[in-house]
Amino acid sequence: MPDSNRRGNPLLRFFGNQRWQFITIPLVAILMSLITASIIVLILGKNPLTTFQSLLQGSGFIPKPNYANFKNVFTDFVDTVDAVTPMIFASLAVAVAFHAGLFNIGVSGQMLLSGFVATIVVGYSPLPAVLAKPLVIIIGIIVGALVGGLIGFLKYRFNINEVVAAIMLNYIIQYTISFFINTRYVDPVSRQSRVISSASRLTLLNVPYGDIRMRIPIAFVIAILLAIFLWFFFAKMKPGFEMKMVGLNQVASRYAGVRIGKTLIMAMMISGALAGLAGVSYYLGFFSSIQPNVLTSVGFDAIAVSLLGNSHPIGVIFSSWLITALSRGGTYMSSMVGIRYEIAALIVGLILLFSAMSQFIRQRINALISRSDRR
Amino acid sequence: MEEARVRMKTDEYIVEMKNITKRFPGVVANDDVSISIKKGEVFAILGENGAGKSTLMSMLFGMYEPDAGEIFVRGEKVKIDSPNEAVRLDIGMVHQHFKLVENYTVSESIVLGIEPIKHLLGVIPYVDIKSANKAVQELSQRYGLEIEPTKKIEDLQVYARQRVEILKMLYREAEILIFDEPTAVLTPQEIDYLLGIIEKLRESGKTIILITHKLEEIKRVADRCAILNRGKLVDVLDVETTSTAEMARLMVGRDVLMEVDKPKAQFGEEVLIVENLFVEDMNHFAVVKDVSFSVRRGEIFAIAGVSGNGQVEVADAISGMLPIKSGKVSLNGRDITDLPVKERTDAGISYIPEDRQSMGLILDLSLAENLVLKSYHDAPYSRGEILNKDAFLQHAKEMIEAYDIRSGGGATGMVRQMSGGNQQKAIVGREIELGSDLMIFVQPTRGLDIGAITGIRERMIEQRAAGKAILLISLELDEIMAMADTIGVMYSGEMQKITSADDITSEEVGEYMMGVKHA
Repeated sequence: MPDSNRRGNPLLRFFGNQRWQFITIPLVAILMSLITASIIVLILGKNPLTTFQSLLQGSGFIPKPNYANFKNVFTDFVDTVDAVTPMIFASLAVAVAFHAGLFNIGVSGQMLLSGFVATIVVGYSPLPAVLAKPLVIIIGIIVGALVGGLIGFLKYRFNINEVVAAIMLNYIIQYTISFFINTRYVDPVSRQSRVISSASRLTLLNVPYGDIRMRIPIAFVIAILLAIFLWFFFAKMKPGFEMKMVGLNQVASRYAGVRIGKTLIMAMMISGALAGLAGVSYYLGFFSSIQPNVLTSVGFDAIAVSLLGNSHPIGVIFSSWLITALSRGGTYMSSMVGIRYEIAALIVGLILLFSAMSQFIRQRINALISRSDRR
Repeated sequence: MEEARVRMKTDEYIVEMKNITKRFPGVVANDDVSISIKKGEVFAILGENGAGKSTLMSMLFGMYEPDAGEIFVRGEKVKIDSPNEAVRLDIGMVHQHFKLVENYTVSESIVLGIEPIKHLLGVIPYVDIKSANKAVQELSQRYGLEIEPTKKIEDLQVYARQRVEILKMLYREAEILIFDEPTAVLTPQEIDYLLGIIEKLRESGKTIILITHKLEEIKRVADRCAILNRGKLVDVLDVETTSTAEMARLMVGRDVLMEVDKPKAQFGEEVLIVENLFVEDMNHFAVVKDVSFSVRRGEIFAIAGVSGNGQVEVADAISGMLPIKSGKVSLNGRDITDLPVKERTDAGISYIPEDRQSMGLILDLSLAENLVLKSYHDAPYSRGEILNKDAFLQHAKEMIEAYDIRSGGGATGMVRQMSGGNQQKAIVGREIELGSDLMIFVQPTRGLDIGAITGIRERMIEQRAAGKAILLISLELDEIMAMADTIGVMYSGEMQKITSADDITSEEVGEYMMGVKHA
């Protein structure tokens, strides 16, 4: 394979360079989904370019023709930042588990439980902001880590598949919390949990800046810092190296002296803690209340987002951004271009689908190259 | 039997492989090999480990495609690009490692892929397992391969699984049957029975290709025999007119292993003491029974035995990979029976495992990372929780130099891309660098070329001279005889005999290995 760069057509050569495949393969996935989406938009009789343009306008990447009071392209952008924050945390949670060879499909449940605990402990308390906000974050971390650690423990101690344990815990958490919200914390008008105190909310609202009012998602900074830390963690730190070892080959890791159980549980605790952060930044940041009976799709989308980002902590930032921006631009697109909102969801779905196929795409490309090499 | 040989042999060639060459990264597995096999004969392919026997036959069975050369079946030129294509040409193969579905029954396994289908109410298709059972029953009786069609594969012993594989070929009406080292996993009685079956198959007109490195088997059943040495065809011989000694000479070739220069042993105090060791496998089946021995400084203690008689489990139990059921293991006077792997390594155990690819290495990590697989927690490879990747690379550079490890991608290249011999050099180097008092070598030279084998054996002698205690576990009797100061022979999980290497001949060791001779 190392010689593959000398021959073949330039496109293959570009995508076949294994050193850069971590970035080129997701690009192929995105490209393929945009082409597919364009075909669908064309069939609907609309212009794909204006469609994509309006998606970007709707999520604040390029300016719209006009804005309401106190709004401009920057406020739209910050709104997207607010929405992307939980997605980054959730995708990092999935990515950490992936590295240790585990599949954390319980991110949504971990999000809900930590969001709920933070809501009732801090959100309904009269604590001032300086205490409330850090406390929300700490609760998010602890609750998420405990749920994740439980899944890891069940796997290690009783050999219960982490996927099964996580799905079951999702149900248990979803219905138990719905019960408590419906019986004790419900707002009779909205049918959701009562709104939390603004002191405990991780997103600051209506912050004046010049002639605009905007949101400031505090947790976003934490998300970026954590992603950078995790990059370092897996590249340069002992426990990260051990997790990678265990993820690649458990027998050899045990032979090398790694404690498999400890490593698995720790990976799930970190994953859970990140899911917990996703939970508090979602329910006590982007939103300020919890809708009962519903498990957010963020934790599930995060699986594909993580794949799209190659499970790399920095890659995950970009893929979270892309997916969130597309879904948020949908409303504006639908009003501007006149195609239904669902088409935006469809494009997101296509990207996720193609990104889930990234391993397949990689194999196809490498097979094509080795075939053209043989000739 | 003689009659049968004459009757079935015709001069029609059923398989011809012409000028076959196959390369793998770093090795030429087959170098311009040409063989022709007659219909109805037992054709043996003889050669040492790594001589290219299995590769050659894997190409006939469509698992690899040759880089150069042509294959003719029944006189027609064919391109066998998949096992399916091979099956279409009536070629069947029993692999060394069986490929069976554990929780299927015998007949389900056999008919898998070509199930007899019936239709419920004339429309809904279903597998007619009753007629499959019947067909399997008939087939097994016809060839003397007694087996219960409704038994599950997981409940079968090794020899019975092999029968399932043979029946699978026969059910597909294969005419050309390839057996890849079929006796390696069998007991002497089972070997005897299998060779009988092979004779019976020949009588019924099948053509049989037998891959082996055991001369007695060839002498007993084969008509002709091709000898491979390091990928090259040495000769094709008529078995009846050739002595086993002659075959052995040709098999080993001109470059017979150089006798490693082994100075007289200087034994010191006991490093490893194993007392009344019992080990069970996952199914709570006792695989090591009441084994006791000790290894001294400056001593190579070799455990001989046929594959699967508990030797590897002894090594796994000492190194902490398998739990010890009862008994005691002590190292330098310290009881290590219940210690975790890491603490045993730190206490002074180096372990070169049998399975270098799935235990000894993490194939998707770089060479540099694999070389510090057991020492990354210590300075200079890490400080606190932070790894020092520069130290990894520096160390790798030194190791590549010192142990002649060849890696196309250098220190940062994936170990997966390296050849088997270089992977083994990496493991041996890493384990020796640990500087442990006890070094366990399991099958250290399996599948390696002569140069690498000599290199690793010299390392062993070097470590012995440095006063290390060495436990060598090998399936190669030659290796045991060449290296050991003390020999222990295991059979069926028990230590049959422990004696100084000077007081025993290889024939006697062989007898103990077969369980024929009791101490």
